[in-house]
Amino acid sequence: MKKLIIFFTAALIFGCTGDFGDVVDFKEVENPNLSEASVVGQPNSATIWLSGLERQLALVFQETLILAELGSDNYVNTQTFFNQFMDGLAIQITDPDMRDTQRDIQRLRELAIFGINEVGPGDPNYDAETEAEFNYFEGLAYLFSGMYFSALPAEPVGVPVTSEQHYLNAISAFDTAIAINAKPEYHLAKARANYYLGNQSGAVTAATAALALDNSFDRTVRFDESNGPSNTFEDALYERATFDDLQPLPTLDFLDPKYSFLSPNEDAPVHYMKAEEAYLILAEAALADNDIASARTNLTSLLDLIATREVRSIDDSIEQRSQVDEGSRPDDSSIVVNGRSGLVLSRQDGNVDIPSVSGTSLTADDIAAMQDDDAGLELLYRTRQEVFIAEGIRLVDMGVKLVIDENEILLNENINEGDPGTVAVIPSFIAAVVSDLDAINYEPGSSVATTVIDLNEVLVANKSSDQVVPFE
Amino acid sequence: MKQKFKWMLLPLLVLSITFSYAQEKNITGTVTDQTGLPLPGVSVVEVGTTNGTQTDFDGNYSITIEEGNELRFSYIGQKTVTRVVGAGNTIDVKMQEDAQALEEVVVTGQGSGIARRKLSTTVDALDSEDIDKLPANQIDQILQSTTPSAQVRLSSGQPGTSAIIRTRGPISAATSATPVIIVDGVRVDNLNSNPQLGIATGGANVSALADIPVESIERIEYIKGGAATTLYGADAANGIIQIITKKGKDGKSSAYFESNVGVIKATTDFLRYDRTAEAIFEPGWSQEYRVGLNGGSEKFSYNFGGSLYKDDSFNDINEQIRRTFTFGLTAKVTDKLRYQGSFSFVNFESNLDYNANTSFSRFSNLEGSARGATDEFTDEEWQGELARVRNIGRLVDITNTTNRITASNKFIYDIDDALQVNATIGIDNRNTVQEELLSNELQVALGSIAEGTTDQGALTRVLRSAFTLTTDVNITHRANTENFSFVSILGGQFFRTSDRQNRLNGSGGVDGTRSLNNFSEQTFSDFVLENANYGLYFLENIGIYDVAFLEFGGRLDQNTASGANTDPLLLPKIGLTYNFSDHDFYINSGFKDILSTIKLRANYGEATNFAQPFSQDRTFAQNPFLGGPSFTFDNQGNDELVSERVKTTEFGVELGFFSNRLFLSGTRYIGITEDALFTPQDPPSSGQANQIQNIGEVENKGYEFALTATPIQTEKHNLSINLSYNTNENLVTDSGGAPAFVVGGFTVLGSVVEEGQSLGYLRGTAAVLQDDGTYAFEPNTALGDTFAPNFGSMGINYTWGDFNLFATADYQFGGQITDLSFLLRHLRGTDNTGIPEELIGTTSPFNYVNFFVFDNDFLKVRNIGASYNLGDIAKPLFSNIRLGINVTNPFNWTAGSFDPETTGSGITAQNGFASGGFAYGTESAPRTYIASMRFEF
Repeated sequence: MKKLIIFFTAALIFGCTGDFGDVVDFKEVENPNLSEASVVGQPNSATIWLSGLERQLALVFQETLILAELGSDNYVNTQTFFNQFMDGLAIQITDPDMRDTQRDIQRLRELAIFGINEVGPGDPNYDAETEAEFNYFEGLAYLFSGMYFSALPAEPVGVPVTSEQHYLNAISAFDTAIAINAKPEYHLAKARANYYLGNQSGAVTAATAALALDNSFDRTVRFDESNGPSNTFEDALYERATFDDLQPLPTLDFLDPKYSFLSPNEDAPVHYMKAEEAYLILAEAALADNDIASARTNLTSLLDLIATREVRSIDDSIEQRSQVDEGSRPDDSSIVVNGRSGLVLSRQDGNVDIPSVSGTSLTADDIAAMQDDDAGLELLYRTRQEVFIAEGIRLVDMGVKLVIDENEILLNENINEGDPGTVAVIPSFIAAVVSDLDAINYEPGSSVATTVIDLNEVLVANKSSDQVVPFE
Repeated sequence: MKQKFKWMLLPLLVLSITFSYAQEKNITGTVTDQTGLPLPGVSVVEVGTTNGTQTDFDGNYSITIEEGNELRFSYIGQKTVTRVVGAGNTIDVKMQEDAQALEEVVVTGQGSGIARRKLSTTVDALDSEDIDKLPANQIDQILQSTTPSAQVRLSSGQPGTSAIIRTRGPISAATSATPVIIVDGVRVDNLNSNPQLGIATGGANVSALADIPVESIERIEYIKGGAATTLYGADAANGIIQIITKKGKDGKSSAYFESNVGVIKATTDFLRYDRTAEAIFEPGWSQEYRVGLNGGSEKFSYNFGGSLYKDDSFNDINEQIRRTFTFGLTAKVTDKLRYQGSFSFVNFESNLDYNANTSFSRFSNLEGSARGATDEFTDEEWQGELARVRNIGRLVDITNTTNRITASNKFIYDIDDALQVNATIGIDNRNTVQEELLSNELQVALGSIAEGTTDQGALTRVLRSAFTLTTDVNITHRANTENFSFVSILGGQFFRTSDRQNRLNGSGGVDGTRSLNNFSEQTFSDFVLENANYGLYFLENIGIYDVAFLEFGGRLDQNTASGANTDPLLLPKIGLTYNFSDHDFYINSGFKDILSTIKLRANYGEATNFAQPFSQDRTFAQNPFLGGPSFTFDNQGNDELVSERVKTTEFGVELGFFSNRLFLSGTRYIGITEDALFTPQDPPSSGQANQIQNIGEVENKGYEFALTATPIQTEKHNLSINLSYNTNENLVTDSGGAPAFVVGGFTVLGSVVEEGQSLGYLRGTAAVLQDDGTYAFEPNTALGDTFAPNFGSMGINYTWGDFNLFATADYQFGGQITDLSFLLRHLRGTDNTGIPEELIGTTSPFNYVNFFVFDNDFLKVRNIGASYNLGDIAKPLFSNIRLGINVTNPFNWTAGSFDPETTGSGITAQNGFASGGFAYGTESAPRTYIASMRFEF
């Protein structure tokens, strides 16, 4: 009996120890997400962080393309839930798209800096190429800050810095990247920053350096269709549903849609740093220097380059110009727009060929006839508009700047309403034609259409303004 | 051993011999109450056996029994009577009222049951009779218009969709207002929004409320937060709905079979275009069969209920099927130990159409004139459009299947007469599978891919498994001295919830398959929430001269959704009740006949809501991007995160006139949400995601009045009326310095949280007429409060012998709502109603959103029903046959031309705040006409 008691007592005590406690411990919960320690200090984390920067850049483009293209004369919003104000250039601090755009740009900056300061140094496999990319992305964050905002903080709740200062910060970051591991797009990014600063020699040097490394480079931002972020602008142009319908200016019809269905897992990329831009900067600099021959050479090289770029043959028969009001906009290849034919495509007669990187109506004859005059500069700006359609450049060329979001104003003690950066910048000559930016004269069924204004004319007419045409 | 067994058999043997010699005879009689009125339904049982019957409608009974045995007569609210069968054949019984038993006992929020008259808090209760009258299959539909101070708003007419339930105003910007739901002491999944990874249909979402077991309900108690919910701690600040299921009664076994057949017809009251009805609406049938069994003896009783339900809805594509069974039992294990168990299974299958915020929504597109105003179409154009809409409907494929199992076990141990231990353990497991098949054919029909495309089909499947474990142990002590009574409760409660979601997507597929294996591109995502919550609670209720009761207690509450630097929360409560009319001097005075009840009550209590689990942790995300991993910042984390705490103070008075035939209840409440959980915008320059923080304060103040009157109460006739009126004043008193942030709705016209405004008020740019006749555009203009500050319900119930007629209605006024379909029509140029000429076409309609905001006033009759008990005309086959007819949602009066209830599209996150400020793009709850036949055995 005694032995039995001892045995059972021992068994009982054993039962009270050991791991059996887990059976009745229901309090333990485990957060399945990643902690900082799982990211910083881990091998290969820098490469994964870089991939995160690429992804963040895709998110930036999701925001900027819609705003910039609607705000320009490129596209009109016929009926979408995409931004409702930019078409009329009603740029407001209360517009959540202002908030989301600057948040995404500044998140890109914060991610890049965290990569440079924490993730990279903690990764035993961190290499120069990755380090250069981190700096490039930091520079891009400043570049976009400068392109789209007249002033924006350059650090969390920091003092807003001017567009010019952002461009200078960008140049500094790109220089760092170039010093570590030069790539043509780093030089082009630097050229663009110099271009918008009006620093012609800096822009020319950088553009030339870019082409010297590779005269057909094309840096893209890619989109993940299956896991996101997808190319929102492609939804607006092509893979649309009932609420998604942006319509191009009829003069740009033949370039639309730049983005079309690629594959179920990847959306069409945006070619945001491409060699074409370097030629255009060089051509514009040549015109500024009254060097028409160099301008022609650069534009000819541009045409040669564009000829090598991908043209996609797509079925665009669901495009009805427009979706709600079929046939209300020019939709047939016989239609002449602003006296020029071949700008509008018939989309109901089989596949259409659309350039997916760059396209233009510029011809060798146009270049040969081009002179060093305002008409020549207009032609260059028309080409810029065509080559950069759906890439968010046109709005910057128009000199329009977005505003700091009201949450930043309220939460950042360095900013008050009314300060620079909180008020939209719209050049007076743009403000005067806001309602005509997307306006067209077209009688459905007729063979002639005209745009109410030619914005390239307006830009060149005001070339002396320091808000547009930076080299003049 | 063998020897013992023989001895045990002996008494049985003797008994059986005795039995065989006993004289069996038929006893008849009439049972009346103390005033001599016959009592129907009195249980008449032979003591110690299951032999029993019930009195009929005239109080008569008949039973066969041996002479010398005992008959026990029992009836709710009457003292049980036992009689020995003697030589005679007639036993008439006059029962006496049992004042003690008549005291309604409230279970919810107390740890143990306490008489209602001792409570300082109000409880809305529905008994099985109230519930059986309603044709509803969902808990929210049962509560709608039957609870005096709850707003239950049906956000869509599509099957299984959720109602927004609110009581004392919006108390939280972080969570939905849905109360905690407890079935037999066990918490059940109450997710009333789309799950985090759920398939978005554009607004109308299938709710967990749709499959809460509503079979075999004995009683529903609804308490509205404040002191009454303090002991529940955790997330009980929105109130608690406690469902107590039937466990059977000792007495004669009974059974019933019920068949309901109905017609479901869409309401066209709110349509802009008649052709919308032509395209989509199609009356459907509903069929339901229910069976129930119950019975038992003193030692063991049981209840079983089962039902099968199907309807094919009011439109051309929706269907729902529900299969349920439940059982409950009570066993007296020993003299001291009782066990109560219940189990329910619900299977719910439904499908949805696309709604509101998706361009695929047929209803939204038609009413929003996405393809033009259909009333301007020529017949030919319309025929084309009609064919298109019907074809799309045929191809829409969004299904939802839920299987839910809920089980509860309760052990009650009476240590002695004064001391009782209650222990409860139970689980709720709800598994849902949602599927959306977006075939090539559908996409072609919708115009989103080119004709002839065959390889872009997509299939999405979302699996959600919600599991809740609840345990509760409490000890109750009751003591009485000459002038004082004491009820003391000490307990501990623990519950744990886990919510696991997986979303699987296949794209690039051909048509004709529902297997993800057949799609060229496959992706998935998952989402996990886990939370453990535990607390200790105590409560003391002291009776003073049996007229006044002082109650105090509290809960020490902790959960795993709090930050690392936080301590458990102590939530106190205190209450005082004074039943002035129970004083002997008052009872003996003449006043009692006129002013029969005077009860005063006051209380203070705290209850909490916790933030979404894991939102306190700093995390990073690794997103799949183009086939590889990619890091980014995720949650900022908040080590100080705690539950928000709602401090409620209540004062109330209850007055009953003429033996309580006119009963008035009034309550003043002030609820202050401290440390309110706000998720304001982080400064965009931080580049970080927004972080939930305890920075806000929200105040809700109001009155609750309820009146019940019984103007006619005779032997044959009974007419009762109930009416309630509630007010709510809501204000965000402090936003902790955070700028206004949007918690629902749209980017330019949002439901907003801002200091000095009502929680979730509507804000947007208003066009304001100036003296010079021009319009000024004023951004961030307050356009109205979404929560109607005045609301209530009403009902009438008339009984004439075996005939019953009842009607219920509810109403609200004083709030505002956006008519988004109108906004869409206007954007598309088809509807300029009420918009000043000067504005049309000159600026974005989003600069004059004030013209799309309307009053959300309504009065809606929810139910009209009649039933007739045919009695025992089919004896001996049936003891009663009851016929009933019911009409739901027959009449509406609304301030605007749209339905202010259809607001399902306004909820942005799982269990997120629902402002109800946007009516949009989904069908209203339909009209149903249901005939029922119930056969009782």
